Parts: sequence; structure tokens; C-alpha cells
Amino acid sequence: MNDEMAIETHELTRRYGDTLAVSHLNLRVPRRQVTAFLGRNGAGKSTTIKMLLGITSITSGGGSVLGRAIQDPAQNCQLRRDVAYVAEDKRLYSYMTVEQIIRFTRSLYQDWQPAAEARLLKQFRLPPRQKIKSLSKGMRTKLALLLAFSRRPELLILDEPSEGLDPVSIEELLQEIVGAVANGVTVFFSSHQIAEVERIADRVCILDQGALLVDACLDDIRREYRRITLSFYAPPPKVNPSLPGIKQVRISGRQMTLLATENANAVAELALDLHPASIEVTPVGLREVFLETVREN
Amino acid sequence: MLWYKAWLETRSRFAASLVTLTLVCGLFVHHALTMIRPTWTVDFNRLLYITQEFLALLWILSAVLLGMGGIVYEKAVGTSGLTLSLPVSRVRLQSVRITVGVLEAAAFGLIPWLTILAVSWRARMPLVLAQVAFYAALLVGGGLVYYAMAVLVSTVVEGAYSSTAIAIGLVFVTTVALDSWFRQLNLWRFVTGNFYLDVHTFLLTGHFPWLGMLVCLGVAALMFVASLLVILRRDF
Repeated sequence: MNDEMAIETHELTRRYGDTLAVSHLNLRVPRRQVTAFLGRNGAGKSTTIKMLLGITSITSGGGSVLGRAIQDPAQNCQLRRDVAYVAEDKRLYSYMTVEQIIRFTRSLYQDWQPAAEARLLKQFRLPPRQKIKSLSKGMRTKLALLLAFSRRPELLILDEPSEGLDPVSIEELLQEIVGAVANGVTVFFSSHQIAEVERIADRVCILDQGALLVDACLDDIRREYRRITLSFYAPPPKVNPSLPGIKQVRISGRQMTLLATENANAVAELALDLHPASIEVTPVGLREVFLETVREN
Repeated sequence: MLWYKAWLETRSRFAASLVTLTLVCGLFVHHALTMIRPTWTVDFNRLLYITQEFLALLWILSAVLLGMGGIVYEKAVGTSGLTLSLPVSRVRLQSVRITVGVLEAAAFGLIPWLTILAVSWRARMPLVLAQVAFYAALLVGGGLVYYAMAVLVSTVVEGAYSSTAIAIGLVFVTTVALDSWFRQLNLWRFVTGNFYLDVHTFLLTGHFPWLGMLVCLGVAALMFVASLLVILRRDF
């Protein structure tokens, strides 16, 4: 068990019949950082989060959250005291009012911050006496975020937190996340909004078909990942795609595109041996890395 | 505060059921007031028994309605993730839900009978306290089996409507089947006091059936434990 890791899984697997929802996942989320969890719909992100919190059972493997074993029901119950979680669908108890659900949630956690609750209630313009069933989806999302951000947990797990929010609220959410990390909170969040991830994440994990394909620092991706485009007078020659530093090779007409994950300059020099008419090395954004990774898989 | 959640979740069903049960009390009072007072007649005792039958029928429906909900239903409406991420065990969640339900079900049995008692006394109608206590105890103690059955069904079947329909169907089928083949085990006759009724005086006679009551409470407890085991093993 590593104290520097807020979340650590070992060969974590979840199977639904013949479908492998999460496959031998070895995930490591460092403390006091923002780690983004990216993947297509059905990639296994929510299932992973549910296994971490003991909501869904584990087929095999295991892991720890904040140093406590997730597969042990008693330890899992304890770890949930220090974790704030916003679920994917943001459904809340429809029979409660806003102030009732706040009162109920407040009573279960010792790390509740009344000042943060008052500030967020005002900021999100939530009507305290209104029934949750009459709130819009956006307002429900804000209320779910209020219940998480009114605490001072060790770990914040947010499953697509910005879904259904307007641009102003998304901006406020991102500021809250940054503020939480500044206060020593670890944030682990799944999202489909790559622009948001690029703004606030320190680390990125890309999951596809239940398997972890990328686990890297965002700075490393920005520094190391490069697209190398080679143009030829004739159809390009074949290249071994398993060469070190090359993640992907794509050929289209007389053009060959290489995605380099490290030592892009060395890869480009090697590419010169293919005698291209021209060679161009360009930085790669997270969106491209994500798309290339999941397409390739 | 889990009590608070369980109460908020069930209070509208509880209030609606209690109003309905109280209306049945009103019918009793209305009929009783038409009788000659203060003569204590067989007709009056018969009215008391019929009231118990009506109360039992509505009590069972109310208990089945109370048994709706819980974490499995929450899965269907999408709030189970929120509930299960709370720092409480599944056993505690289910236990609190059951306890609140049992208290509410007890109120369904006691409040109507206390109302009848109070109104009868006020109207100077002669009501035997021991008979009322007998009826109320049979209704609540025996009826808990129906509530426990509804809770167990709600932990197996997700939808609120389907679990209610299945629970009501089970009540009906078990009553008819037991009455045909194992009449002595028919819970309906136990709950209404039919087993202990003197058909000449329409009074409940004999000692209170402690053994039958213990068996009912034991069966209810077993079903509650079974529901806990289902919740512990279930995936959400």
C-alpha cells in the first residue's frame, strides 16, 4: 500500500456475464492532484468508481482508497466518511426539499463546512424550500455539487460533474475543483469534456473497453506527445508500429502519420531514413491523444 | 438521521393510509351510534368484529404500500448510488427502514382502535377494553408477517408497482391456498380474530394466543433477515 496514492487498484476486474466491464485495472491516483478519468460511454469509468465505493461488487482483484481496502465492507464504509462523491446521473431524493437533503447530508459527515454551504447555496441560487423533484437537471446537478463541496473530504470523486451545467456554472465548478486541490483535497473525476480536463487536470487516465490505455501526467503528454507527418512521392514504405516511442502509424495515400509518445526528435530522425519528401513534427492536444487511443483500441 | 430519511420517504404513504383507516373507524362510529344505548348487544360485538375485518384488509394493503421503496427501488429511480455512497452499512440502512416501517405499521393498528375507543367512550357506548386490546394486538402482531413479506419482495423486485402487485398477489394467494388446505395456518383468520371468535356472542374468547403471536413475529423476523441478506449480496 502506497501512502502517496489516494486510489490504488490491482488487477481490478468486473464481469457482467460474458461482458468484461473492467479488465485487470491497475489504477494509481496520487494524493493532492487532479486526476481525470477519460473514456467513451460504456468504457467502464462509472463501474470502476462504483467498485471503489463498494456500490458494485468486484469480480476479482482489489484495491485501496485512502489506504483502506475497497473489498472489505467495514473498511469501505469507513473510507466513505472521507470521500465526497457526485454520481453520474445526479439523481437525488425527490421527496426531500433542498434544505432537507442538506440537513440530512450534513448530519452524516463531520467535515461539513457551514460557511461553504451558505456560499454555494447563494452562488448556485438554490431555493431551500423547493422540492427536489421540481428542480431542473442543471439545478439538481448544482445541488449534488453543493453536497460534495460543502465538505472538506480527503478525496472528491466526481462522475461527469459538469454534465447539464451552463457555461457560467461550469466555470464556477472548475474554480471549486482548483480551490479544493489547493486545500489539499485529491480530485478524481470522469468527464467527456476534454477542454475542461486540459484546464485543470494534473494527470490523465484513459480507459477503453475496461482496460487502462493511458496513465500519464498532462505535462508529459504536452511535452512528449508529437504527431510526425511524412509526405512521400510514392506510396509510403511499411514501418514497424511496435518501434519504441511510436504509439500509432497511419497511412493515407502518400502520407504517413506517426504518433510519438516519447523521444519525438529521435523518432523523426529515424523517419528520415525512409526518405520522405517532407517531414513535419507538431504538438498533439489531449483531444487527439484521446481519439487516437480509443480508435486504435 | 437515517430515520429522518426513512420517515420523509414514507410519510405521504403513511398519512394517506392512516386517513383511510380512520375513515373506517368513522363508519364504525356512525353505525354504532344508530344502536340502542347503553345496551351491550351481540350486534354491537358483531359490528366490532366486522370493523376488525375491514381494518385488517386496509391494514394489509397499507403495510404492503409501506413495504415499497428501499435501496432496490432507489436503483430503479437512480438514487441508490447516492444512498450507498453514504458512510453507513447496508445492514444499518435496511434495519432503519424496517424499524421505521414497523413503527408506522403499529400506528396503523393502534391509532384506529384507540380512536374507536375514545369516540365510543365519549358517546357512552360500552366497549370492552380487553376486546379492543385483543383485536389491536392480533392486527399488529400477526400483520407484521404481511409487512415483512412486502419488504422482502421489495428487495427482490426493483419496480415499485411490480413489487406492490406481487406482494398483494402473494397475500391473496396465500390466504386462499391456506384457507383451502391448511386452515389452521391461515394468517388472515388469525389477524382478524376469526379463530378466537364465539359465533354466539361475537366476542373473542380464550387466552391470548401467545404461541401464535410468537410464531408470527418469528416468521416476520426471518423475512426481515432474508431481506438484509439479499441487500448485502445485491449489486447496484
